[in-house]
Amino acid sequence: MNTDTYNAPKSLNRWQSIALGAGGIGVIVWLVGYLTGNEEEALRGWLLGFIFWAGIAIGGLGILMLQYVTGGAWGVVIRRVAEACAKTIPYVGLLFIPIGLGVYKLYEFANAPATDKIIAWRGWYMDPPWWAFRAFVYFVLFSIMAYLLSSWGAKQDASKDYEESAKWLSKATRFSGPSIVIFVLLVTFASVDWMMTLEPHWFSTMWGFLFTAGWALSCFCFSVAILAYFSDKPPLDRVLGKRHFHDIGKLMLALVMVWAYFNFSQYLIIWSGNLTEETPFYVVRSKGGWGAMGLALIVLHFAFPFLILLMQDFKRKAKWLASLAIFILIMRLIDMFYIIGPSPKLGELKQHLLEVPFRVTPWDFAGPIAVGGIWLFIFIWHLRQRPLVPLNDPFFENAIKHGKGH
Amino acid sequence: MAEFDTTTEVVVAAEKVRDAGFTETDAFSPFPIHEMDEALGIKRTVLPYLVFIGGVAGLLIGLGLQYYTHVVEYPIIVGGRPHFSLPAFVPPAYEMTILLASFTAVFGMLFLNGLPKPYHPVFNVPRFNLASREKFFLLIKKDDPKFDYDETKAFMEDLNPQEVFDVDE
Repeated sequence: MNTDTYNAPKSLNRWQSIALGAGGIGVIVWLVGYLTGNEEEALRGWLLGFIFWAGIAIGGLGILMLQYVTGGAWGVVIRRVAEACAKTIPYVGLLFIPIGLGVYKLYEFANAPATDKIIAWRGWYMDPPWWAFRAFVYFVLFSIMAYLLSSWGAKQDASKDYEESAKWLSKATRFSGPSIVIFVLLVTFASVDWMMTLEPHWFSTMWGFLFTAGWALSCFCFSVAILAYFSDKPPLDRVLGKRHFHDIGKLMLALVMVWAYFNFSQYLIIWSGNLTEETPFYVVRSKGGWGAMGLALIVLHFAFPFLILLMQDFKRKAKWLASLAIFILIMRLIDMFYIIGPSPKLGELKQHLLEVPFRVTPWDFAGPIAVGGIWLFIFIWHLRQRPLVPLNDPFFENAIKHGKGH
Repeated sequence: MAEFDTTTEVVVAAEKVRDAGFTETDAFSPFPIHEMDEALGIKRTVLPYLVFIGGVAGLLIGLGLQYYTHVVEYPIIVGGRPHFSLPAFVPPAYEMTILLASFTAVFGMLFLNGLPKPYHPVFNVPRFNLASREKFFLLIKKDDPKFDYDETKAFMEDLNPQEVFDVDE
């Protein structure tokens, strides 16, 4: 079968060092913040970074399973990048430790007085130890899925003939179908546990879907940036073609729309319901600096990428698509900040604030850089361990031909 | 009109036809040949732009219709909200966008293709029925500016086809 090795280009080593350096500096700055008495602000910054980068990693698992189920040339070229994202999940679990240990300094539900009937009614389910154990379970299940899929991918790479390769592919495909259902349920529970609890009296039934779509979008944009980086360097310049980026661009467009659709659904339901338990979430977020940020998100997270991605020529140019992908990633980070930033800090809940001053701290920058640097280091390490494409996949040759089409 | 046996032959021939400067041409095959657009020098369709205009028109009509009925013509207070309540206007405006965009796509496609077309001279060639089964055909129309019956016929014979037909009108 295939004789090329398709190993990652050497230039990746430099990026790995840069990531580690940035991560190290981020961690130091973050620790300075944490140790100088800004524990809550620092933890919020860490949560921001965690939820953004964990979204790429966990989204990677979702994309990996999705492409096994749907098939297609875009899946063959994106598979190893998504797989490397998914394989970082156990380490993402380690990056969760500051949040798990800091639960009493970060979340109101962990400190609520017994007089807070809404939180008291939730009983043992929202006890911090049980909450932390659930997070452990999510990471274990995600990791098992990622481990199984990547080990079958490795066996496929080592397979000697067509039948053996096709056998591992069909195994991964049959595993992915039912696992996607479990995956979406896990994402729903995880996003409620980690993010919705920042607003302990508030709830939204769109939350899980919002995060499923958002994380898939994050991982897609991240993968586009990685693939565009590879597209003009050996060995992948032989593989990646215009049509691959065209296909992936179309899926990016779809995910941008799905994100907007879920977000607007949530807004419309709360707006038309007009209930006192639900509306404060948007009342707070539509005033002052937060309001401007919300409008900016509508324009820059939806309208602008949507209109740009409608253009066919734009999607076919790897570097252009990658620039937009990185832009959307920045918007994803701001979107997460838009959820975390205005949420009540400890003790603010009982004040029933309808206006929160725009607050951004240095740790909101240090957190994402710290988590991101460490995560990218681990991601590149995983990416380099394997060929960048599933070179013995039965559909590999077809996928190359497809990309080179007009 | 010339008949060919394989996709490769018809694509190579189409490239020669394009390079010879013919513009009023057409190709027929049992399945889509992705290279054919380029080989025959077919310009990209304007349909996407029409669909975009259709969508924008749908959006504006959808918003305008609701604004007119809810704010101008029959203002009535619903749920204590202002007459102009944008969130409530979005779903119908969105549906109008999709409706007009897809109408433009379907009917625009039919119009740009000149469909429905009850009569086309190529069907006067008996073997043309094979275009829906296994054969490939290239057509040079007589209103092409470079068309000259004898020269064009000789040119087509040189393309290495199975057979060259005259198409009666």
